[in-house]
Amino acid sequence: MADISLTPTEAFGHQSDSRWSGLVPIGRQFLRALPLAALVLGVAVILNFALPRLAPGDPIDFLVPAEQANAISAEQREQLAGSYGLNGSEWEQFTRYLGNLVQGDLGISTRHGRPVTSLLAERLPWTLLLVGTSVLLSTLIGAALGFRSAWRRGTRSDVRTLTGVMVADSFPPFFVALLLMLLFSVQLKLLPVFGALPGTEAQGLAFAFEVARRAVLPIAALTLAGLGSAYLVARSSAVSELGEDYVTMAAAKGLDPSGVRRHARRNALVPVWTVAMLNVGALFGGAAPVETVFSYPGLGRLIYESVLSRDYPVLQGCFLLIALGVIAANLVAELVYPFLDPRVRRPGKVGG
Amino acid sequence: MSSTLKRSPGRTLGRLGLVLLALSASAAMFAPLVARHSPTRPSGLPLRRPGLGHPLGTDDLGVDIFAQLVYGARISLAIGVGAAALALAIGLLVAVVAGWKRGWAEAVLMRLTDVTLAFPFLPLVLVLAAFLGRGLVTTAVVIAAVSWARPARVLWAQVLKLREFQHVQAARAMGGSGTRIVSRHILTRLTPLASAQFVRVANAAVISEAALAFLGLGDPNQASWGIMLSNASSNNALLTGAWKWWMLPPGFALTVVVLGFAFTGYACEEWADPRLASTSGRLRFLSGPRRRPPTVAPVAPAGDPILEVRDLVVSYRRGTPPAVKGVSFEVPRGRITALVGESGSGKSTIVMGLLGLLPGDPVVQGEATFEGRKLLSAAAAARVRGRRIGLVTQAAMNALNPAYTIHAQIAEAAELTMPPDRARRRATELLGDVGLPASAHQAYPHELSGGMRQRVIIAMALANSPDLLIADEPTTGLDLVTQASILRLVQDLKDRLGLTVLIITHDVQMVLRVADELVILEDGRVVERGDASKVASAPTEDYSRRLLNTRLSPLGARA
Repeated sequence: MADISLTPTEAFGHQSDSRWSGLVPIGRQFLRALPLAALVLGVAVILNFALPRLAPGDPIDFLVPAEQANAISAEQREQLAGSYGLNGSEWEQFTRYLGNLVQGDLGISTRHGRPVTSLLAERLPWTLLLVGTSVLLSTLIGAALGFRSAWRRGTRSDVRTLTGVMVADSFPPFFVALLLMLLFSVQLKLLPVFGALPGTEAQGLAFAFEVARRAVLPIAALTLAGLGSAYLVARSSAVSELGEDYVTMAAAKGLDPSGVRRHARRNALVPVWTVAMLNVGALFGGAAPVETVFSYPGLGRLIYESVLSRDYPVLQGCFLLIALGVIAANLVAELVYPFLDPRVRRPGKVGG
Repeated sequence: MSSTLKRSPGRTLGRLGLVLLALSASAAMFAPLVARHSPTRPSGLPLRRPGLGHPLGTDDLGVDIFAQLVYGARISLAIGVGAAALALAIGLLVAVVAGWKRGWAEAVLMRLTDVTLAFPFLPLVLVLAAFLGRGLVTTAVVIAAVSWARPARVLWAQVLKLREFQHVQAARAMGGSGTRIVSRHILTRLTPLASAQFVRVANAAVISEAALAFLGLGDPNQASWGIMLSNASSNNALLTGAWKWWMLPPGFALTVVVLGFAFTGYACEEWADPRLASTSGRLRFLSGPRRRPPTVAPVAPAGDPILEVRDLVVSYRRGTPPAVKGVSFEVPRGRITALVGESGSGKSTIVMGLLGLLPGDPVVQGEATFEGRKLLSAAAAARVRGRRIGLVTQAAMNALNPAYTIHAQIAEAAELTMPPDRARRRATELLGDVGLPASAHQAYPHELSGGMRQRVIIAMALANSPDLLIADEPTTGLDLVTQASILRLVQDLKDRLGLTVLIITHDVQMVLRVADELVILEDGRVVERGDASKVASAPTEDYSRRLLNTRLSPLGARA
C-alpha cells in the first residue's frame, strides 16, 4: 500500500483545532470596533457643542422662541445664557458641557420645560418598535426576493423583480406613508390615523392589539423604504457567491438545487446582515418623515417637533442619541460577524 | 423558468432612466412656457378645484398648483445635480489624495471618511439643516457634506487598485509627474465608478430635499415638491379630496425623478462592473426537481467501458463556435484514464458538459453513456452526480464552502444515500482514508493547506462510493512534493476501492506516472488515444509528440 500520509508541506498550514472559547472572538471583534465607535462618539459630542455656535446669529436667538425675541431684556438674555451654559469662554463652556454630559444631563427642553433625557426615554421605545420591526421585515422580504432573483439571474423573472423593487424603492417613504394613510385610514377606514397609544383604557391583549393597529402603517411604510437596499445587496452578494467554485462543487457532489442554494445563501448572508444593521442606524432618526405623517411619538417625530419649536436642547439630545444608536448597531453588527463567518471566528493561517 | 435573456437589463433600464430624467429636465427647462401662472404668487382664489384656468387647482394661498408642479422639477433636479456634483468633487479629491499620496494623509482622510459614513444620512442632514438654515444652497451643501464619504471610499479603493496597474507603475518609474499620471491614467478610469456614485448621491439628494421640505426645513420661498406635499398635508388634503390634484402629482413627480436616477445608476454600476452585466453566469443546476429521494444506486455493472463518449460537441451558448468539436473516447473500467491537453483544449468543458455543470445556456450535443445509460440530459446528469460519478473540481483552494467544517461538508454529501448518523461516521472514515489526522476533521477550509483541501475534496467525491472518479486538474497549484502525494493517494484509492478514474490535466509528465490510458486533446478534438505507455513511447501524431516532449520546470512553467 502506497504512503498516503500528509507531506510536511501539506501539513504546514494546518492549525489544530484549539477549541476557542466562544468569548474570545467576540472580545476581539469588540476591540476591533471600539476605535471607530469612540471616534464617532467624539465627533458627535463635538458637533453637538459646535453646531449651535456655528449657526448664523447669536445662539440665544436660537433658544428664544421667535415671538418672544423682542420682548426680553439684556438682563434676561444674560440669565438665559447662564441657564443654557452659554456664559464664560468657549473652553469653559465646553468643559461644563462635557461635565454635564458625563452626568447624563442633556439640559432642559425649552418647549416642554422637562429634562431632555426624560423626553428621549419616553420616545425611544416607540422608535425601537418601528425600527426593529420594519428592519426585520424589510431584511427578510428583501433578502428572500434578492436571493430568488439571484438564482434566476438573467431571466425575465429576475428582471421583473429587479425593476419592481427599484420602482417601489423610488417612492419617497413619506409619500408612501401618505398613500397608505389615504387608502387604509381615510378610504377603507380600517386603521387609526394618528398616534401610537389607544385613547381607551384597554388592558393586556386588547392594549397590545390597539398598539399594533397603530403601528401597522408606519411599519409598512418604513419596511418598503428599507426593502430596496436589502434586496439589492442580497441579490448582488448571492450572484457573486454563485460564481465561487464551492457552488459548482456542491452541485458536483450531488446536492439538489435547494442544497446548492443553501451553500451560496449561507455566505451571502454577511453583507445582508451589514446592510440590515446600517438600516437600523439610518432609521433611528431617519424615520422622522414617516413618524411625522402618522404623528407617531418616536424619536423622528421629536426631531420634527423640536425643529418647528426651535427646541435646540432636545434637538442636540436627539442627535446624540442617534449617534449612540448608530454606534450600538455597528457594535452589534461586528459582534455577530464571528457567528456568520468562521474565518472571523477562527482566523487560522491559510496554508499553501 | 424562462430562458436566459440575451442582454442584461442594465442597458434597457439605463435608457428608461435617461428618458425619465429627460422628461423632468424638459419640464424644468420649459417651465415658463408650460405653466401660465407663477409658482410662488397667488393667481386665483385659494383652494380651488381643478378647472380651466388652473389645471390642478390652487393651494391655500391661491397659488397655481400646476405651476408649482412644473417649476418643482427645477428644484429637485438642481438639488440632485448640485449636491451630487459637490459631493463627488469632494469624494474624488479625498480618494485621489488618499490613494495616491498614501501615508498620513490617507490615514487621516480615510478615518474622516469612516466617521462620516458611520453617521446615518437623513438624521445628520436634518440636524445640520436645522442649525444651518433653510435656503436651497444650504440644503445642497448640507447634503453634499454628508454624502461625499461613500464616493470617497469607493473611489479610493479603485485608486489603490489602479496605481498597481502595470502602465501606471511604468509611468511612475519613468518619472512622470504625479498630476499627469493621475489625470491621464487614474481619472479617466475612474469615470464609470464616479458616474455610478454621482447618480447614487443625486438620487439620495432628491429624496432628502423632499423629506427636509416636508418636515418644514425647506426653502419657504421656493415651491418644491416636498413643500407642496407638506402644504397639502397640513391643509387636510387627504380628507377634503384635494389629494387627487394636490398630493398625487408632486408625489409621483418625485418618484419619477428618483426612479430616473435609480435606473440610470443601475446602468452605470453595470458599466463600472461588467461582472454584474454578464448573463452567462446562470447556473442550470439551481433549478429543477426539489429533492430526490435518497437512492442507493443500482449495482449493475454494464460491462466495459464504464463511460463512453461519442461525437460530443459543446458550445457555451447557442450561436457561438463550439469549444469541444466532436470528441469520442472511452473510459475502461478499473483503470486510470488521463484526458490531456493544453489549457483551452476543451478538456474541462467535456466533463462539465457531461455532468450538466456548465454555466449559462450551453449546447451539448452527441452521445454519452455511463454504465450503459444515456447521460446527456439535465435529469440524467443530476441522477449520477455525486452518487455514481464523483467529481473533484478544478481549483480545490476554493472548492470548499468557507462557512462549514470539512466534516459537515462530506457528511452532507454522504447523506444522499444514507441516514445522517451513518453519513457522519462515513465522513470520519473518509477523512481518515485520505490521510487527514483526526484533529483536522472539525477544521474549516481556511485552516487547511492546499494539499489538505485537495484531499478533502477527493474524500467528498468518494462519499457515496461512486463507480467513477473524475479529477479535474487535481494537482494544479500544489508544490511538487504534494502533487506526488496526491497522485499516490488517487492510485491507492483506486486499488483499494476498485474505482475507475478519469484524470484531466495539462501535465503529461506528471500523469504518465499513474495513467493506464491516454486521450490527447487539441483544440476541442481528440488527436490520439490508447494505452498510456504505448502512446508515450511511440506517439503517432505530431501534436502528441510535442506535448509529450514538453517538460514542466519545478516552477510549473513550460521549459
